[in-house]
Amino acid sequence: MMAPKQRTAILAGLAVIGTIALLAWKPTVVIYGLQAAGLYASIAIPMGLILGIVHIVNLAHGEIMMVASYATYFACKALGMDPLLAIIPAALVMAVFGWVLFQLTIKRALKAPELNQLILTFGIAIALSQSINLIFTSQTYKLQLDYVSSSIDIGDLSFGTWSFVFVAVAILFAYGLKYFLTKTTTGKAALAVGQNPRGAAIVGIDVNRMDALVFGLAIAMVGGMGALFLTKSAIFPSVGGPFTMKSFCLIAMAGVGNIPGILGASLLLGISENILRAFRDTRAWADIVFFVLIIVVIMSRSLKGRKS
Amino acid sequence: MLKIQGLECGYGRMKVIDGVSLEIGNESVGLFGPNGAGKTTLINAVMGMNKPWKGSIELDGTSIVGFETHVMARKGVALVPQERELFPGMSVEDNLRLGAVYIPHAKDSIQEQMEAMFALFPILKERRKQLAGTMSGGQQRMVAIARALMSKPKLLILDEPSLGLQPSIVAEVFDVLKELKKTVSILVTEQNVRESLKSIDRGYVLENGKIVLEDTAKGLETNPHVLKSYLGL
Repeated sequence: MMAPKQRTAILAGLAVIGTIALLAWKPTVVIYGLQAAGLYASIAIPMGLILGIVHIVNLAHGEIMMVASYATYFACKALGMDPLLAIIPAALVMAVFGWVLFQLTIKRALKAPELNQLILTFGIAIALSQSINLIFTSQTYKLQLDYVSSSIDIGDLSFGTWSFVFVAVAILFAYGLKYFLTKTTTGKAALAVGQNPRGAAIVGIDVNRMDALVFGLAIAMVGGMGALFLTKSAIFPSVGGPFTMKSFCLIAMAGVGNIPGILGASLLLGISENILRAFRDTRAWADIVFFVLIIVVIMSRSLKGRKS
Repeated sequence: MLKIQGLECGYGRMKVIDGVSLEIGNESVGLFGPNGAGKTTLINAVMGMNKPWKGSIELDGTSIVGFETHVMARKGVALVPQERELFPGMSVEDNLRLGAVYIPHAKDSIQEQMEAMFALFPILKERRKQLAGTMSGGQQRMVAIARALMSKPKLLILDEPSLGLQPSIVAEVFDVLKELKKTVSILVTEQNVRESLKSIDRGYVLENGKIVLEDTAKGLETNPHVLKSYLGL
């Protein structure tokens, strides 16, 4: 049996060799893969926080980001503001939205069977996307921003640089959360609620309040991401759905509560998608590669479980 | 301190506690009974985990029926549950700190309380950085007791503290309880009547949800029902 440290070293070695080979073959696969990974991880980390502490799969996660993007879009249009300036206000507004959503719906389903929780959050997802569809129709909205088209030329290689901002946000989210959960009193209490809600109540932690706080924090993070997402992409009512599925897939790959694992899984997904996009024949398959990855991960876990 | 009168509660339609009355002052009280007698249900009712159907529960003369568990903890009632309920992915030190940080009357003296806990359980000082989930059952029980004491409770409730422990550790736990009763009121539920009688002042016997016997520790030790049913004599 291989020791965990040995296994990590071998995996890291393989990752380095693979990256060098990809850089030599098609550097854009690594560059765009990294950028996509940043975007996926930035959206998946708040979902992982909710699942790890509140213990609920939020199937409305992408739709909540979509709502934040719409709110930011119309606020920016009305006030003539750059969406980057709207990140913090969007996060604050969405934190309140998340808190209200928690008190009105999620709180009531926390002790319900998991299927009921899934139906509830799936229902919220449909309600949000259909409400936006009714109000704004399925028309796409996009802000024209000059800085988004910035690029770098290195020899024959030319690539966009703006999307690296998502990599920075993903790292900020991962390490910011790690600091919050391991170094602050409130963070440790939140972690305690995640590890043992009954034990947390016994030591005087108001579990319901802590769940609401964590849910609000995660929705604030995804709200800020909604504003940032607007800088890169066009928005429409169903734009969030795939991000819910991909976020869920990444958390399943990383394991619940494993935030650094989400970064790694996002990198794997981002690069896999961009390898397929590098070929004309397989380009269309890129968007479903996460299904293949999740099947492989689940199969390998069940085989490992059977062996042990 | 704690006064329970005519308490009835249960799960669904099944009544588990049927008209129980008991009282705990500044003393150490045992609650004995076989599996399924309702000991844990009674404790859960006191801690706000089970809603009583009928009767009253008072702490220092104030009704606490309907209070949530975290409120009970903040009011000075600390529980060491049967399943320990630690935070397995956190260090011993963090487990202990969390025992006091949300308790208004204890949060300002965390460091000195922690030193006191390390004096009471020296093994925990050696293992202060170890994850609680990686410790043995006996050590986890010590962490659970120390975590409860970190909150400087008025009343310490221990639910079957000897469950699943090897005899040498059981003796150690009850020695600690003997020491603790000088400073804190204790309610301990047990099936290990022989060991626990050495550390309590008074005791109740609970069978089928009803109190069938109440006496001092000495009285219980010589009671024919206790001798036959719980001490195997």
